[in-house]
Amino acid sequence: MGLISGSGSFTRYIVEGELDQNFMGTLSEKIAPYLFRNLDENSLDGRSMGWVNIMDMFDNRFSGLEFLKEPYIAMTLRIDERKIPPTALKQHCLEAENRIKEQENLEFLSRTRRSDIKEAVNLRLLKRAIPVARIYDMIWNYSTGIVLFGGTNNKLCDEFAKLFLQTFDFHLQAVCPYTLGNRFLEKEGASPDLLDDLNPSEFSEEK
Amino acid sequence: MKLLEKVTKTEFLGREFLAWLWFRAETEQGVYDLPDGGKADLWFDGKITLQGENERGVETITCTGEAQNMKEARFALAESKGITQAMVKLGIGDNQWSFILDSTWLNFRTFKTPRVMQDKKDDPDGLFYEKVFLIEEAVAAVNEIYAYFMKLRFDPEWNEKELPALKKWIGEGR
Repeated sequence: MGLISGSGSFTRYIVEGELDQNFMGTLSEKIAPYLFRNLDENSLDGRSMGWVNIMDMFDNRFSGLEFLKEPYIAMTLRIDERKIPPTALKQHCLEAENRIKEQENLEFLSRTRRSDIKEAVNLRLLKRAIPVARIYDMIWNYSTGIVLFGGTNNKLCDEFAKLFLQTFDFHLQAVCPYTLGNRFLEKEGASPDLLDDLNPSEFSEEK
Repeated sequence: MKLLEKVTKTEFLGREFLAWLWFRAETEQGVYDLPDGGKADLWFDGKITLQGENERGVETITCTGEAQNMKEARFALAESKGITQAMVKLGIGDNQWSFILDSTWLNFRTFKTPRVMQDKKDDPDGLFYEKVFLIEEAVAAVNEIYAYFMKLRFDPEWNEKELPALKKWIGEGR
């Protein structure tokens, strides 16, 4: 469930760099190559990832510039994945191996042959598997340079940051105690080096 | 020092911040001034996760309960474990948010805003703006509280007054 339509978890980022004057005018072009595309029923792709409308996960066209909600750029990252349960894959492989052994009158199958069978079975089952869709909202306040992303898993966050860079050509810096501390010092007109000199406080009292 | 090194070196700030928040909330100092003149009330609610390292490796303790004092969690703090996650409630005016605050990234997990009034069917943009406003209001308040913590942390008052009081409170949990 996305941040807008329900509750959820999110990671915060700071966008590195400034928007140039032409940025808004070229948004549609930037987003277009990275729009979500449905997995083709006949294709063997196991995964598809891209941007969809934040208010409608089935809209990947943005015909009315729905991603622009001033002062925000808001979209949802949709990831569709076809997965075969490992147990099902194992059972089907065993069945295929037994059939081949019987047909070819073999007692054992080589490691390479078994690997080929596994790959073939995997592809056959992949065609039958129904893709599962996951959605993660992205809200970029371009007046403050802060991005909220509706996910906290490290691998997912890395994928998101990569897609963000590909789409908008901006690097993201994850917010953490250090970056927030840095922002505080900047605001106070103090040197950021102060943070480097800080040491942990000892909380436990001497026994 | 590279950025990643700096981030890693100052990871302790997130754990200190959470411990300080809990101490403040438990000693009736958990209300903070906001720049717009309002007040934010932040308190711990139900679940705290602590982590520490010893010769056996990393130890994680999760304490759940209604009792605000949560003796086991405070005992773990006294035993040099740090708070890595805490379920908190934030109140501003009549609104209340609940979320788990994480020490490493100061992420917001299982974030719940106050009930939104706009309807998705009638006014999708209205819902979007109302929801984002509520998210940003909570984030800004936590940022403000963290800035207050930072100010205190760099001030001589931290070592002279705040830290001794915090240590005393932790010690009382033994």
